[in-house]
Amino acid sequence: MMSEARGSSVKIPDDVRIVAFLCNWCSYAGADLAGVSRMQYPPNVVGIRVMCTATVSPYHVLKALQMGADGVLIAGCHIGDCHYLKGNYMTYKRYLILREILRFAGINEKRVRLEWISAAEGEKFAEVIRSFTEEVREAGLSPLRKNEVIKSEFGEKLKNAFRSLEVVK
Amino acid sequence: MSIREKARQLFAEGVDGVLAFKRTDGVCIPHLFTKTEVEEICKDVPADQRYPVAGIVRRIFLSGLAGKIGVVARGCDERALIELGKQGQIDFDLLSIIGVACSEEQARYCECSKPYPSRIDVGSRFEGISVSEKVRAVESMEGDERLAYWLAQFASCLKCMGCRNICPVCYCVECSLEDENLVRRGSVPPDWPVFHLLRAVDMASRCIDCGLCEESCPSGIPLRTLYKKATEIVKELFDYEPGADMTQRSPLGTIGDQSELPGGAFEA
Amino acid sequence: MNGKIYETQTEGGKSERVYSSKPVGSVMVIGGGIAGVQASLDLADLGYRVYLVDSAPSIGGVMGQLDKTFPTNDCSMCILSPKLVEAGSNDNIEIITLAEIMDITGEPGNLEVILKRNPRFVDIDKCTGCGICTEHCRVKVKDPYNAGLARVPLIRVPFPQAVPGAAFIDPTKCLQILKGKCGECQKYCPAGAIDFSDKERTDKIEVGSVIIACGFSPFDPHKTEEYGYGTYENVITSLEFERILAANGPTGGHILRRSDSQSAQKIAFIQCVGSRDSRIGNTYCSSVCCMYATKQAIIAREHDRRIQSTIFYIDFRAHGKGFEEYRSRAENEHGVRYVRCLVSAVKEMQPSKRLLLVFINEENQFVEEEFDLVVLSVGITSGIDALATRLGIRVNSHGFIQVPKPASLETSRPGVYVCGAAEGPKDIPESVIQASAAAGSASSLLCPSRGELTVKREYPPERDVRGDEPRIGAIICRCGTNIGGVVDVPAVVEYARTLPGVVFAEERLYACSQDAQVWIKEIIEKHKLNRLVVASCTPRTHQPLFRETVRLAGLNKYLFEMANIREHCSWVHMDEPGLATEKAKQLVLIAVKKASLLEPLEEGVSPVTPVALVIGGGPAGMSAALRLADAGFKTHLVEQEEELGGNMRHVRMTLEGDNAREILEEMIRSVMNHPLVEVHLTSKVASIEGYVGSYTSVIEKCANSAGRSNPDIESASLGDDVSEDGTVRVDHGIVVVAVGAEEYRPKYGEYMYGLDQRVITQTELERRIFDEPESLEGVKNVVMVQCVGSRNEEHPYCSRICCGVTLKNACELKKFLPGANVTICYRDVRAYGFNEEKYLDARERGVRFVRFTQEDQPSVSAAIGRLEVVVKDRNMRDEAITIFPDLLVLSCGIVARGGSRELASMLKVPLTSDGFFLEAHVKLRPIEFATDGIFLAGMAHYPKTIRESIASAQAAAAKAEAVLSKDKIVTEGIVARIDPEICSGCGQCIDLCSYGALEFDPSMRVARVNPSLCKGCGACSAACPSGANQLLGFRPCQIYAQIEASCALLEAGGQ
Repeated sequence: MMSEARGSSVKIPDDVRIVAFLCNWCSYAGADLAGVSRMQYPPNVVGIRVMCTATVSPYHVLKALQMGADGVLIAGCHIGDCHYLKGNYMTYKRYLILREILRFAGINEKRVRLEWISAAEGEKFAEVIRSFTEEVREAGLSPLRKNEVIKSEFGEKLKNAFRSLEVVK
Repeated sequence: MSIREKARQLFAEGVDGVLAFKRTDGVCIPHLFTKTEVEEICKDVPADQRYPVAGIVRRIFLSGLAGKIGVVARGCDERALIELGKQGQIDFDLLSIIGVACSEEQARYCECSKPYPSRIDVGSRFEGISVSEKVRAVESMEGDERLAYWLAQFASCLKCMGCRNICPVCYCVECSLEDENLVRRGSVPPDWPVFHLLRAVDMASRCIDCGLCEESCPSGIPLRTLYKKATEIVKELFDYEPGADMTQRSPLGTIGDQSELPGGAFEA
Repeated sequence: MNGKIYETQTEGGKSERVYSSKPVGSVMVIGGGIAGVQASLDLADLGYRVYLVDSAPSIGGVMGQLDKTFPTNDCSMCILSPKLVEAGSNDNIEIITLAEIMDITGEPGNLEVILKRNPRFVDIDKCTGCGICTEHCRVKVKDPYNAGLARVPLIRVPFPQAVPGAAFIDPTKCLQILKGKCGECQKYCPAGAIDFSDKERTDKIEVGSVIIACGFSPFDPHKTEEYGYGTYENVITSLEFERILAANGPTGGHILRRSDSQSAQKIAFIQCVGSRDSRIGNTYCSSVCCMYATKQAIIAREHDRRIQSTIFYIDFRAHGKGFEEYRSRAENEHGVRYVRCLVSAVKEMQPSKRLLLVFINEENQFVEEEFDLVVLSVGITSGIDALATRLGIRVNSHGFIQVPKPASLETSRPGVYVCGAAEGPKDIPESVIQASAAAGSASSLLCPSRGELTVKREYPPERDVRGDEPRIGAIICRCGTNIGGVVDVPAVVEYARTLPGVVFAEERLYACSQDAQVWIKEIIEKHKLNRLVVASCTPRTHQPLFRETVRLAGLNKYLFEMANIREHCSWVHMDEPGLATEKAKQLVLIAVKKASLLEPLEEGVSPVTPVALVIGGGPAGMSAALRLADAGFKTHLVEQEEELGGNMRHVRMTLEGDNAREILEEMIRSVMNHPLVEVHLTSKVASIEGYVGSYTSVIEKCANSAGRSNPDIESASLGDDVSEDGTVRVDHGIVVVAVGAEEYRPKYGEYMYGLDQRVITQTELERRIFDEPESLEGVKNVVMVQCVGSRNEEHPYCSRICCGVTLKNACELKKFLPGANVTICYRDVRAYGFNEEKYLDARERGVRFVRFTQEDQPSVSAAIGRLEVVVKDRNMRDEAITIFPDLLVLSCGIVARGGSRELASMLKVPLTSDGFFLEAHVKLRPIEFATDGIFLAGMAHYPKTIRESIASAQAAAAKAEAVLSKDKIVTEGIVARIDPEICSGCGQCIDLCSYGALEFDPSMRVARVNPSLCKGCGACSAACPSGANQLLGFRPCQIYAQIEASCALLEAGGQ
């Protein structure tokens, strides 16, 4: 394994990139358990630890989408298990609203996911990462990535939208 | 009853000023009248001119002009005043509303669901439009098409901040739209989606659907459609309408109980 | 006070072996389950050094094996693990594993414990828990953590969340230890932690007191042959089923049969296995099985919607807070079937290996039914006979430790206390309550020596780095081959060196080792680093260590950031080393970006007024007040009545058979005579303002006592602000809510109450039995009706104590009127714990039991001068029985006090829908509120026996004492902060706080955070549209930087 790692300068390829906000007490611990149990999952996800998912405002998610993240995962304690009693209530409410706004704005709302993962659910964490990565791959690279807009077939749709706008104005 | 008559009545009841309209050079502009000026008050509100009345009331409170004020308010103005009252920006109890019902024409233009205040002094009540065609039109698009539609719309944004500046329920001392960690400086049109959806997210639980943002937009971006949808989402999920009454608490301003979470919280 | 035990000795000379006059400021806690861990944490908090001894290789106990907990379905490990970590990292708690207590000598305050320490064969300080040894061990044994359902190597970390998180060797089958032929693990251990020469040794430890918290042993069902445990593969115990339900268990949470690994869909739970069984001598109820079986049935259904569970029970005992509702949800929402019967036999079918249960159902029909899986709800048995014998501590007839005094947890051995299931069957919150109470008991013995043996670390002054350019040091850990075997560590180091702000980057084999800490300190000084990034393992376990090192190097401890390149990278991407390396770089980039924006955070300090306010003068309030006053704190005790005593004034005999009057009188005398307790009778708290450490309250006379003179007020001490109308203003640091509850008053005409003088309540009966026995002479027929005002629509909960009281009164009545017919009409006899023996006693004395249902309650009428009770007996297929009683005794439930709501809103603490106060956490914080500084005792929480009330009061007092004994409260640096220049005062954040830490400042028209109450969750900060409210340490700009780094292509980092 070592020799493989040495010298090979692999770049993260043109694969999806997922930002995961993990609450310290449950989901980060669940991710730790997945690690301790050596459960393998795709490396497309990088985790950002927060004390509670209630820290994660819709601004954070929008910022991640803005930066070109193809998927955003928010993972916290199950309802009722929150270390801060009800922090995840707010996460849940904010998420529900944001998801619908994204849908209306034409951003595939499947790119943003909320999951409850407990400290004992290492397997669930690994499974969520696997299935979410797959789902985001299906949705494709984010059209919000720089250059992505013009490159893809989506560019055609965009041109049409501009054209119709010209007509109206 | 005309606005002037109503104002007279309010002065008799002891208000210190009335925020109404004054005709200057052929246009009606908002003016805070004292008792002695009551005869200068426009008798009625011209249908085609709307002002951020609530924003002006907020500034009056901010300036420390304490006292009871009469306010000429349409349905949306009253909602904005209620919202500002709930958010501690004005003292709603000090206000006496001179209620103006909007014309059917105005209501249809706005697709306003409640084009009248809780008490109508001027005009007659038109029930309002319950379904926004503009929102439905966007909803009916395919996902990518919708994205393209909005991208094209927002491509013409000049980042003039007019939408925010005119918004009666926007009053932050520092605005996140100007947080350079969130929205890059010096880039026009501004970053999509962060710039516009950030506002949409914030509007979801506070927009009172006056539509002044859209009217003030030099690029004609259909902001109202976006915010209408945002408030519809909140209404759907939490049965909450910004500005509906003083006692309703925003679902985002209270943590609530588990039973109040919209269904299926267990499965996220 | 306990001062009488010791004489103050002024000479400082102290040598071993000589008893000093002062007690030793340390405590040994035996048993590392939830009770022992809680007691240890409380003791450390109270200022004592703690030795936490466990016979297992890790602390955690049975709770660590549970999947979920009732009635909230909380993940057991999620709520336990933070406590284990806290105990493991507390400087004043020394965890001693694999050890047994051999003897205790000495007197209270100065005990010597002889400890046998079994070899672990692994050096805890060196072991990093990497698990490489486990991979190389060839011998496997049954895994005790998984209740024997899985096999594991001899050398291993006991379970993933174990504390200490080090490996141990089970020597029973180790080839190297037994035959000197293997030693593979030692060869591969990268840390050199394995030592086969480790030997058993004996230690002597001096302590002031000992707390026994050894818990229980699950009943061994081999003893009940009719269920076929051990013979039939698909008959398992409830603890085994718990592991099967657990996501980290042997089947990964899939409910599979042992015989064929097929999913089980029809599951039978058989209750009372090893409980309420006189054949095997266990004549007590284990108190928890009805509820845990219900929980398991619910969870099983959540795992697999096809599962149908049936619970076979005798009496359904749902006698705790929220239990009754839990059961009805199980039945109505989760399709759990409850069948009241005794299962007479279990037979295994062939070849399906399904199980045939034979029972007689409620309709008296003989039924045979097949199930895929049978779970035996095994009871709680004492596991401490041997220990108790060694220590000469008295146990009861079932081997549980006896507590001779009603208001104490002291064992027959002075200075030795007991808590948790070692004292008798109980659930987790009751264990936790007793643990805190026992810690408080030890503290009142040892308080002259508080703080004498605890360590406080000395730190160099902090270097002010504000305004300096970031100079970041990045340490990349190889963690042996754990990280280095997958991730190209040198490449990550090279990458880190290119990042802006990084002035130093190096790799280490083990960044967490002791010598690495010395080295880190040196490099911080040498390179003038002002931020440190360590890329290694999880911050959840290792951040405290590195923060400590950073602090010792003269930096603010918050100038540290971790990148988890082990659990979140090398261990989960083992097959993709190239990608793992890239991800490690990304994680380092994220940490560096955040680090450059880190700022020093201040830990706030707020003063403590060392005065207590206890509201309620019943046994709970008085016990709490006495404890606090004994610990040396001025205590105000507020009682609305004219006298102390509360409901206990009406009790003549406790459920344990003690003279309640004597206990109460003694308690009142102690309270009234205590120089530090100030009693405010006919008074109430009119207002409370402030927060933990600094409250100000106004105590005023109750309206009904206007004009009455009050000597207590006149005696109010200086400093209290007494106004002319008797209103007192007091400053205090904590509040204990002990307002109690009250007996349900039957409605006029309910069971003819109020209409016929022969209809009385149990309280009235008790008074007459003890005070006016002559009034009962000639009574021939007595009927008692249970659940009056309980378990109905109006009061859906079970009042817990009425069954016990009824059985007590029935037995007492039978004692002096043996010829009287006593009939108890019940729904379930909830004689939990040792009350079951009273149930047996009553039956032996000839008390008749008739079971009715809520739908078919007994009817009462009066005709021709006599009372007539008609009740349909469910046990006799609804046969109607008519009785003409001379006395009809109503067993009235307990209801919340009317005034609770007002007090709750004053304190900003919540109530349940039943009107009882709602604790911070049902399982682990049963006597605290989410708001710091406010504690909960007695029946204000939920109906309780007198003993239970006193225990909860002592527990609340211990928590309160921990606050009051500190000269200041140090608050976390990670708290929300609101910039008043930016805050527009919209108030949207204020109600998002579960801890009451936010308030509106009307003068400035802004929201403010009280850092003493803030827990740092950030729920409020995320609601702020303008960024005025920010969570320090997780400011939006810091997280945005992390997000940018997460999305950055690595080239952008400067590669």
